[in-house]
Amino acid sequence: MLKSKLRIFSISLVTLLVITSSGLVFGAWYLKQLEDTVTKRFEGTKWIFPSKIYSDSYLLYVGISLRLDDLAEKLRRLGYFESQGAPKARGEYRISRSDGSVEIYLHDFEYPTEQLKGMPVRIVLQGTTVARIENLATGQEMFHLELEPELVTGLYERIWQERTVVKLADVPPLVTKAILAVEDERFFSHHGIDPIGIMRAMWVNLRNMSFQQGGSTLTQQLMKNFFLTDERTMSRKIPEALMALIAERKYSKETILENYLNEIYLGQKGSQGIFGVWEAAQFYFAKPLSDLTVGETALLAGLVRAPNRLSPYRSAELATKRRNVVLAKLLDDRIITRKQYDAALREKLPQRALVKVTNDAPFYVDYLRRELDENYSSAVLNKEGLRIFSGLDLQLQRIAERALVEGLKKLEAAHPSLRRHSTDDGLEGAIVVLRPQTGEIKAMVGGRNYQKSQFNRVFQAKRQPGSVFKPFVYLAALMYGGQSGAQYTPDSVLNDSPFTWSYDGQNWQPTNYNNEYFGAVTFRRALENSLNSATSRLAQDVGIRRVRDIAQRLGIQSSLPAVPSLALGSAEVTPLEVAVAFSTLANGGVRARPLAVRNVMDQNTRLLEKRDVRNEPVINPQLAYRMNELLKGVLDRGTGAAARRFGFTRPAAGKTGTTNDYKDAWFVGYTPDLLAVVWVGFDGPRKIGLSGAEAALPIWTDFMKSATASMPVTDFIAPAVEPESAPAGKCGPFSREGEPPAEPCPPAVQSTRSAESL
Amino acid sequence: MLSLRTKNSLLGATAGWLVFLYGCAPQRPYHAPLPPSSSTTPALRTPQSTAPIPAPPPPEAPDTSRRPVPQEGKIREQDIRTKSPTPPPAGKETKESSRQAGIGESHATPEATVSPALPDDSSLLAKITPGVTPQRAASLRLTDEGRKLLDAGDAAKALTRLERTIAIDSTNPYGYFYLAKAQNRLGGYKESLNFLDVAESRLSGEPFWLAEVHALRGDNYRALGQPQRAETSYMQSLRLNSGNRTAADALLRLHADAQSPTK
Repeated sequence: MLKSKLRIFSISLVTLLVITSSGLVFGAWYLKQLEDTVTKRFEGTKWIFPSKIYSDSYLLYVGISLRLDDLAEKLRRLGYFESQGAPKARGEYRISRSDGSVEIYLHDFEYPTEQLKGMPVRIVLQGTTVARIENLATGQEMFHLELEPELVTGLYERIWQERTVVKLADVPPLVTKAILAVEDERFFSHHGIDPIGIMRAMWVNLRNMSFQQGGSTLTQQLMKNFFLTDERTMSRKIPEALMALIAERKYSKETILENYLNEIYLGQKGSQGIFGVWEAAQFYFAKPLSDLTVGETALLAGLVRAPNRLSPYRSAELATKRRNVVLAKLLDDRIITRKQYDAALREKLPQRALVKVTNDAPFYVDYLRRELDENYSSAVLNKEGLRIFSGLDLQLQRIAERALVEGLKKLEAAHPSLRRHSTDDGLEGAIVVLRPQTGEIKAMVGGRNYQKSQFNRVFQAKRQPGSVFKPFVYLAALMYGGQSGAQYTPDSVLNDSPFTWSYDGQNWQPTNYNNEYFGAVTFRRALENSLNSATSRLAQDVGIRRVRDIAQRLGIQSSLPAVPSLALGSAEVTPLEVAVAFSTLANGGVRARPLAVRNVMDQNTRLLEKRDVRNEPVINPQLAYRMNELLKGVLDRGTGAAARRFGFTRPAAGKTGTTNDYKDAWFVGYTPDLLAVVWVGFDGPRKIGLSGAEAALPIWTDFMKSATASMPVTDFIAPAVEPESAPAGKCGPFSREGEPPAEPCPPAVQSTRSAESL
Repeated sequence: MLSLRTKNSLLGATAGWLVFLYGCAPQRPYHAPLPPSSSTTPALRTPQSTAPIPAPPPPEAPDTSRRPVPQEGKIREQDIRTKSPTPPPAGKETKESSRQAGIGESHATPEATVSPALPDDSSLLAKITPGVTPQRAASLRLTDEGRKLLDAGDAAKALTRLERTIAIDSTNPYGYFYLAKAQNRLGGYKESLNFLDVAESRLSGEPFWLAEVHALRGDNYRALGQPQRAETSYMQSLRLNSGNRTAADALLRLHADAQSPTK
């Protein structure tokens, strides 16, 4: 019996010892794990920083057209707010409509190659023209002024944490004291957990029979934000408390406080979460921490409890109430004087409109991201806070998007057959806008609705260009002449009648629109009216390989089979390729490489990458000029004449495009300074049954009318002299590097060139 | 102290002799490219434009296996060999003939082709006259800023500024010229040549600036290891403006280099 009891006792004792020792071992292991976790966070990378994508900056200069309302809207989007008096702090502006002037206190801005300091300026308008720009600090006249680029979006993984890290020494003592007063007044006397605070919280919770207060110290809050979730359970509370104790044992109060002030969540601006006191001061008051008033400091401290519910942007009443509670606490604790308290109570809440970052250019950002992916990993892009400057013009982007969406709606209204048949079969479209001189992609709309389809038709959709390809035939004819020995000029006569092109044992018979033929037509008229038969005959005489060579030289990169139907645009290309090729014509025969990314800076403002404008002369400027003159005729008299009827009157060149099966409608058109390509069609095999002039041209015209409204009217200028190395094709003395051996120019072409160039 | 006119006359005479000497000299083999000239600024620049400029990176050794000589050069030489040279009309050289003038094949005599030193036309701000459009005025001011940045040795910043100039006014040839200069400073010699082509096509009846274009083109060819083409460009520059110091200095150095026994 005794033996049995002893045995049970010893077994129990051993079991207890085993359990206890296991518990101790596990506990020690668990604490070590927690300590490692805390140490790793405190001593490793504490925060991730999303990369930010910026638009191009905006250059204002004396003489530029500018509407006061447009400038005000631009300033609002850049985060400036209107002040009643003269702007005294960065980010303020005042409009005087009586004398047509705007005073702006510019933000500081760090550019890749220079840092711009904020300064007060005055812009005086006469009508809609900038007449004078003045630096108000020095009284000096300025001739141009650069407004900083707009933030387009951020690149991040789960949530966009907007944060600027500050040192504790840079945080005004009042900010620290106010936050401690309302969040953890015994911070400097506890060791991570506050028993008094916990008892108080338990009492409150018991009295209300619900979970009202947590009694968490500031250190516990930091541990929760660093490692844990928001759930109010014991399974979270225990590790939180343990971690707080570990952190307090390992790190100083100052280190913990500094981390807290940078970590804390303080609001939401669209998709951006506002983290840390520095960022919050910018977001709510557009000023640095050191400039905050007592009232603003109290408001900021009060937000910690519930940043969104108590936000002044959401409820001025709740925000004021909370601010006043904090002010009272500061007065009670003798942190502020009665006088400061009274003055703070009279302060007005920030009344700025909340400008959210909405990513108005999702297709552009996708394209840009693809370019960036070549050099940067996703981890770098999402976490290392790069600043990416692009060529995007957000104003043009918005105009392009509106023109496309509304244009497609109008088409559907006018042609009910185009309406959606099933869920994935809607009429689609794309616009891409380039600045020909620099190659900068200024706007890109890759589809009708990014939320529904992220397929970017600007560079991912290969479509037949149809008649948009024809100018390459005419350019080749002007450049090389015909194999028959014919020399071509705009006044040459072509035969527009049915014919058969026999090649490789096959026959190809191009037909005209509506089977209508015009017999003898001029070169110019054949292009202006996009006559298939005359163009095909011309291509046959020039040689389809030469046509292909020209298209590739201008910027088409897709594979182009040298078959007769190439002349009428049977080979598939992307709208972006078409844009680059026609930009070369707009730029006087100089091809500019397309640019979306301009500069990339790291978090420390070190320039990682700069993509320069690259110009390459690829065709003779005289020929480019001649083609531009011919393509102006398309808008003035030819298939694009509707643009003039729709009210687009400035000098411009362009070309309609319709595929012979009516699946694709195109229009490419340009002034010397801006080019836009519009494509309309269905993603699937469905036909739209409309020509480029009917479907794409109205959208292009709508876009260009708005886009060029504030631009000066310019025309294509005949080149002064023929450059030394101006290329004239494979023939003649100017063939370019890397091309097949030169072939002699047909006499006619030589004479044309010499006549033009001398 | 020599007067400005005397200086120009001397410079013109020197340039004339240089062109004459090169026209008469037999074709010389070149072994290595010369370092770029210390100054490519226009002659008679305003004082601030003569600020010290850091030397561009040393040109790479010519290596035609890695960097093929542009076809256009070969073709031009081919044309020279196959075509019988036709002297241009006296006092008015055609562009084609000037392009074809290689080392030892210059058809022009100094008396017939060298223009006197042209007056300094380098001031961009002087081109902002009442008739100038606001775009051109803004573009010229930015170009001038870019020029100053280049003179101060900040080519990267200048490039950014100068890219703006052509976006505002695509017809501003000086913007393209200084873009070419910035690219030259940054070692982008081919890009520089491309911008020079555009600048040239947009210059209208401005021999001073055309001479600048040719001189900078010469610098680029030299840096690319093509001294013969560099020489042709310098001579072309001097034909247009015998006062172009960049071209004159570079030609002297080329000549000295060719004469040097170590070479």
